[in-house]
Amino acid sequence: MTPLNILLVLSAGLFMAGLFGVAARRTILMQLISLEVMLSGPALGFIAVGAYHGSVEGTGMFLMVLGLAAAEVALGLAIYLHMRRATGGDSDAAHRLRG
Amino acid sequence: MLAYFLLLVPLPPLGGFLLLALDPYRLERRAVMAVALAAGIAPLVLFLPVALAYFAGTIGDTIAPAFTLNFGQFEIALAMQLDALSAIAALTVTVVATCVMIYAADYMASARVADLRRFFALMNLFLAGMLSVVMAADSIVFFLGWELMGLCSFFLISYNMNSPRAFAAGQKAFVMTRIADAALLAGLLLLFLEATSVRIADLIPAGLAAPEQRAVVIAVLLLIGALGKSAQLPFQTWLPTAMAGPTPVSALLHSATMVAAGAILLIRFAPLIEAHPGVAAATAIAGVSTAVFGALCAVAQTDIKRLLAYSSISQIGFMLLAVGMGAPGVAMAHFVVHALFKSLLFMAAGVLSHASGGTTEIRRLRGSAYAAPISFATYVVGAAALAGFPILSAGWWSKEAVLGAAVMAGPFGQFLWLVALGTAALTGVYAYRPVWSALRSPVEPLPAVKDNWLAVGPLIFLAAASVLGSFLVGPIVRLMGDTVPHAGLGIEVMGALAAIAGLIGSVVVSFSPVWSARIKRARRLRAGMQMDAIYYAFLVRPYRRVVHKLSGRNARKGNGPEANNDKTDGGMGDPVGTATVNLGLWLARVVTAPFVPDRFDVVTMRSTREVRRAGVWARRLQTGRLRTYVMAFALGLGVLVILGWGMTWG
Amino acid sequence: MSWGFAIWAATLAFAAAVMAVTRASAVHALLLLLASLLALGVAFFAMAANFAGVIQLLIYAGAVVAVFVFVVMTVDAGEAAMAREREMLRSAWRWPALFVGLSVIPILFGIGGGPMGEGAPAGADTRELGLLLFGDWGVATELVALMLIAGMIGVRHLGRNLGPRLRERGRE
Repeated sequence: MTPLNILLVLSAGLFMAGLFGVAARRTILMQLISLEVMLSGPALGFIAVGAYHGSVEGTGMFLMVLGLAAAEVALGLAIYLHMRRATGGDSDAAHRLRG
Repeated sequence: MLAYFLLLVPLPPLGGFLLLALDPYRLERRAVMAVALAAGIAPLVLFLPVALAYFAGTIGDTIAPAFTLNFGQFEIALAMQLDALSAIAALTVTVVATCVMIYAADYMASARVADLRRFFALMNLFLAGMLSVVMAADSIVFFLGWELMGLCSFFLISYNMNSPRAFAAGQKAFVMTRIADAALLAGLLLLFLEATSVRIADLIPAGLAAPEQRAVVIAVLLLIGALGKSAQLPFQTWLPTAMAGPTPVSALLHSATMVAAGAILLIRFAPLIEAHPGVAAATAIAGVSTAVFGALCAVAQTDIKRLLAYSSISQIGFMLLAVGMGAPGVAMAHFVVHALFKSLLFMAAGVLSHASGGTTEIRRLRGSAYAAPISFATYVVGAAALAGFPILSAGWWSKEAVLGAAVMAGPFGQFLWLVALGTAALTGVYAYRPVWSALRSPVEPLPAVKDNWLAVGPLIFLAAASVLGSFLVGPIVRLMGDTVPHAGLGIEVMGALAAIAGLIGSVVVSFSPVWSARIKRARRLRAGMQMDAIYYAFLVRPYRRVVHKLSGRNARKGNGPEANNDKTDGGMGDPVGTATVNLGLWLARVVTAPFVPDRFDVVTMRSTREVRRAGVWARRLQTGRLRTYVMAFALGLGVLVILGWGMTWG
Repeated sequence: MSWGFAIWAATLAFAAAVMAVTRASAVHALLLLLASLLALGVAFFAMAANFAGVIQLLIYAGAVVAVFVFVVMTVDAGEAAMAREREMLRSAWRWPALFVGLSVIPILFGIGGGPMGEGAPAGADTRELGLLLFGDWGVATELVALMLIAGMIGVRHLGRNLGPRLRERGRE
């Protein structure tokens, strides 16, 4: 395996660790932290591939991910603060979409 | 650089429309006027240098692309173009529109601000439509502009919303042109399928290369489209009633735009028409018969605006004759000259009728010549151009060219030439009638009208153009790539004699008691041969009957308030709309009704219950919890990754 | 710098991330997240992506974590809450672990596909990056900007009544 492969495996690992966190944790705050981890996985992947090919586009994509993460964190935390009084920050309590 | 200038030309009127129609704030009367005039005149200012550069030969044919899309082999390319036709036509349209807009600013001065806004918004939109028709380099922009004009003509003709007659006239114009537009759309789409491109430059060769039958169908469809827009036989009924609109509308609609768009269409696609002798002959016959018909009806009119309306379709008949005779350049020259003098005639007639107390009846114009001498003089110049007064008027030169083209087109053309010659004489008879009427001494002296330069300025300019246009005919024909037909001195003298005969005829008709009584009695002719009634009897009434028959049962079955006022809404449902419902009811009766007490029904109901149960079970998946959905996402991701792994194994 | 250093840092980041998502205490989780993000930034520097590294440190490890810190300060961190959190995780970790684990095996064994040549990580020119973002990718950049604006408006909307609510909570 080349270094790039290892880095890509690690980036997939970061993503899946985050995915596990979002699925397994019930507190919205912890889910948000897990989401951050999830987003950092692809970021690592983009940078690694960009560095491997000597292309600037990896960094470009990283900046896109960064913008996404920033917007997501701001909105997510606002929602958390908003819902905490009603549900104690438990995402399972917000289930009005139940069929 | 210059190419993009072309794209700008139709934009000011469009912007004017948007501003006037959509601006939510109350605009001052002056602001409305300023916006309308600026938007109406800007195209001329923008286009004049381009056109002059083109005529001077500084720039050649140009295409300004606006937007391009490729679908496989099909290419959708929206663009504007500058060639001989579009340069001449767009210049004519912008000049005439400028004059009409300035005139309208005076004519509509007493209207309410809201009406003024509506009027000028629509006029500007209309102008934008016509400009995109003449400058279009592709069939899509062409058709868009074409339809835009149709829509605006409806609104402008029914401008006077309080009058049911105006509304009916607008509706009639809309429906009649719609029928022809459907044919035009079909023709353009067929051409598109042949060419796999919407560029007009590609469409024409593709149409020429198409197999014989299809090419004929395309040519005939285009011809029908042109006939409808130009109010030629058998679509002519909408134009005379369209006079319900204000005078500037008539001046714009019936001179350079709307009705002339049909001629522009035919000139644009002239190679397709000429490629098939039958279609060309049909074009010429339609043109000549409309010319005769229009002239005959115009002679019998007692209303000056209706007279001018019939003269419009008669003159456009001449253009069609020229196209049918294979001389589109000549048709173009006649288009330009006609646009100049016809807008002049309409606007001068508006001033004269104002001077004589607001009536448009020819009889009542008495004495208006003394009340508004300048406008009267310009009207005389316009009438002379319309009648083709020899040598001095532009109308004579262009009409001579049309007649010459007919003579030189063989025996068939010579026959048409004879008919057209008679029409030219008739044109003289009706053209001067309002002149003599206006010259008569008034019953009671009319107050002199104070000439407003807003109104008179355009009139004088157009009158000068109607005379000096004589020098334009030759260059226009040559620019269009045709030769000016010279059919020999005898033929030309005959044309001049016809015009003079028309002049004498008009004197006879106006001053001889016997003849003026005859004109008064010619009711059938006045009503346009009662084509409306014939159409009603043979087309509209049977159609209504069929509709009644198709929807009759429903109308009777209906209960509730709708059932009782059949009379007010005409008692007609929509036969097409109710067809599916009726079909469904019939199927229910025939197919499912016999099974109702049977096992079939039970089986159906059981399967319904099963579906319901499955639905209840499926609902359990929807826990509403974020975590569940994330888990489903993780599961799907895992399955996908495993699948991808399996497929790339080894 | 070298690939080896980058791999080492990324491994650290991965380990910190795994620990972060399994902590019962939000404060601990946040600190581990910070560690993970810092390690990633180091990995970026190691891959000669200096601009990305600086941005990672400033925005991710700086601003984003700071925002988290503000929120975490209001969180109940008592022993009972931690016990509840631990209990929630204990009862719920199996199915997610299984589903996520589904993809682990193919990624571990399937990714080492084609032959890829060795080479030192190549740095990217920041000037080129600017040209890329505001040239070819102009639309994408605009979209990200729009998304940020949408986020800002959303936060403003959600947070318009937060002040009084938080005060009320404090009084309880």
